[in-house]
Amino acid sequence: MCAASVEALFSLLTDRRKIRRSGRRTLDPGSGPPEEQLLSILRQALLLFSLDRFLVRDAGAIMKSGRILVTVRGEPVDDARHSAYREIKAVTAHALTVEEGPSGFTARFVLDV
Amino acid sequence: MRFEEISLSQVSETEWEIPRTGGMLVPGLVFASREIMEDIVRDQALRQVMNVAHLPGILFRSIGMPDIHWGYGFPIGGVAAMDVAGGVISPGGVGYDINCGVRLLRSNLEMATLRPRLPELLAALHREVPSGVGSTGTVRLTPPEMDKVLTGGSRWAVSRGNATGEDVEFTESGGRLPGADPDAVSDVAKRRGLDQLGTLGAGNHFLEIDEVEEVFFPEAAAAYGLFQGQAVFFVHSGSRGLGYQVCDDYLDVMAAYTRKHALNVPDRQLACAHIGSDEGRRYLSGLAAAANYAFANRQLLAHQVRETVERVLRLGPRDAGIRTVYDVGHNNAKFESHEVDGRRRDVLVHRKGATRAFPPGHPELPAAYRDVGQPVFIPGDMGRGSFVLAGAPGAMRLSFGSTCHGAGRRMSRTSARRSVRGKSVFAEMERRGVLVACTSRKTLSEEIPEAYKEVGAVVDVVDRAGIARKVARLRPLAVVKG
Repeated sequence: MCAASVEALFSLLTDRRKIRRSGRRTLDPGSGPPEEQLLSILRQALLLFSLDRFLVRDAGAIMKSGRILVTVRGEPVDDARHSAYREIKAVTAHALTVEEGPSGFTARFVLDV
Repeated sequence: MRFEEISLSQVSETEWEIPRTGGMLVPGLVFASREIMEDIVRDQALRQVMNVAHLPGILFRSIGMPDIHWGYGFPIGGVAAMDVAGGVISPGGVGYDINCGVRLLRSNLEMATLRPRLPELLAALHREVPSGVGSTGTVRLTPPEMDKVLTGGSRWAVSRGNATGEDVEFTESGGRLPGADPDAVSDVAKRRGLDQLGTLGAGNHFLEIDEVEEVFFPEAAAAYGLFQGQAVFFVHSGSRGLGYQVCDDYLDVMAAYTRKHALNVPDRQLACAHIGSDEGRRYLSGLAAAANYAFANRQLLAHQVRETVERVLRLGPRDAGIRTVYDVGHNNAKFESHEVDGRRRDVLVHRKGATRAFPPGHPELPAAYRDVGQPVFIPGDMGRGSFVLAGAPGAMRLSFGSTCHGAGRRMSRTSARRSVRGKSVFAEMERRGVLVACTSRKTLSEEIPEAYKEVGAVVDVVDRAGIARKVARLRPLAVVKG
């Protein structure tokens, strides 16, 4: 769910199909309730773009010593190949929910654009 | 009128009261016509007005403007004044884009003569004024220079030759909020701001060439240097990534404070701290620093507009006459003195999507505007125009010297995009007589005129309520969107 949320975030920023998987980053949300871990992961993911101009093509999550770590693959922005759809100011805690259902977890988060 | 479980009573043609219930410390007061209220009740904004009324130290009313809509914690279009003694400061009451605001530049140019040059001028402005997602400015700050921006605001730009003394004089708070502390701004926030100074950004930020179409209040228009048929330039931007990061950083600090002190707030997004606490004071220092960054940002943008127009039209500064009418923010929290229940009090006024609107005679106004009131700019949508208002006496009685800030969205971004699928927004805008240059077509489709309330109806409310007075209507002719 954390990985899918990161991919959803970057789908709002650009066309992910045009991003190459040449670089890798790891996001560590620390400990806390699921909602706070998700918020932390998404904030870190947005900073990858806002601060380092790094775009995420895909993401995967692993459990390590009882903690979630999210690994993302992507590359720095190449203005010739990547067009930005919109500016995302922040990932907010507004109406943030993580719910477990029969087919897995569903996350809902609201962005300030 | 009742909406869900919210009881609303219309107390005048333009004022609605939400009575105190539960833990509300004050009633709610919303400025709206009946038609606008029917729009407002569609989202959770009124519930948020009630939530804000729970905050410790809130005085008089939790206030909503006619452009109010659902926001993060506080509604956008909300005003809340807190008693400095015992009251709280909340980042949710300011918003992510700290000191986002508008500058209006007037000129000696008449639109009738400028019109044939508009396509060329628009292309030059789009090229020269950095805009769009991730855009970088022509200035790359060093860390020591960043600290000077954070403490100096627009005045920093004077030292670089990018501003005149007049620019600073005609900027809210002289273009510099006191109390800014660069150490209260995180390294991440500073890094985000190093190359973004002098950039417009994206979303609803814009640069616009407008014509003064109609004048309603000739004395104020004359004081502001505005006349019918004149070409004017509108700049709407804020504190960019630096401001967003300051907000993000302090939301965590405030959440911890709220938990630690068991503050009774009905929504975690109203996380706050007492104004006099270490956390509160530190946020206020970071807020002032980010606000100063926003002042400097709009100053550099204005300077770039001035230089570009003069170069394209081959005019000297005296002939072009591009001068700042005023620069005013609409996302801030400021210490002010107001009369509450017959007593003068020091208060901290949160304005989130609301504009300061001081009336004639207010000592903080530049001498040239003291007889007519503070200029207020209300951008509408890019098709139907914008308004210049003047602060009016009712604002001091009813809204802590505040008025609205825009038209307010009535359509989500997704709905707006869907509604134009398969159509050319450029062609539609051109049919309406508006040239558009933009970096992102997606942004453009989200900003179509129909996505916003009719700004004229919003402005009529504040005019009739006596909190601001209509001065002039502006018609957009060329727009740069990020």
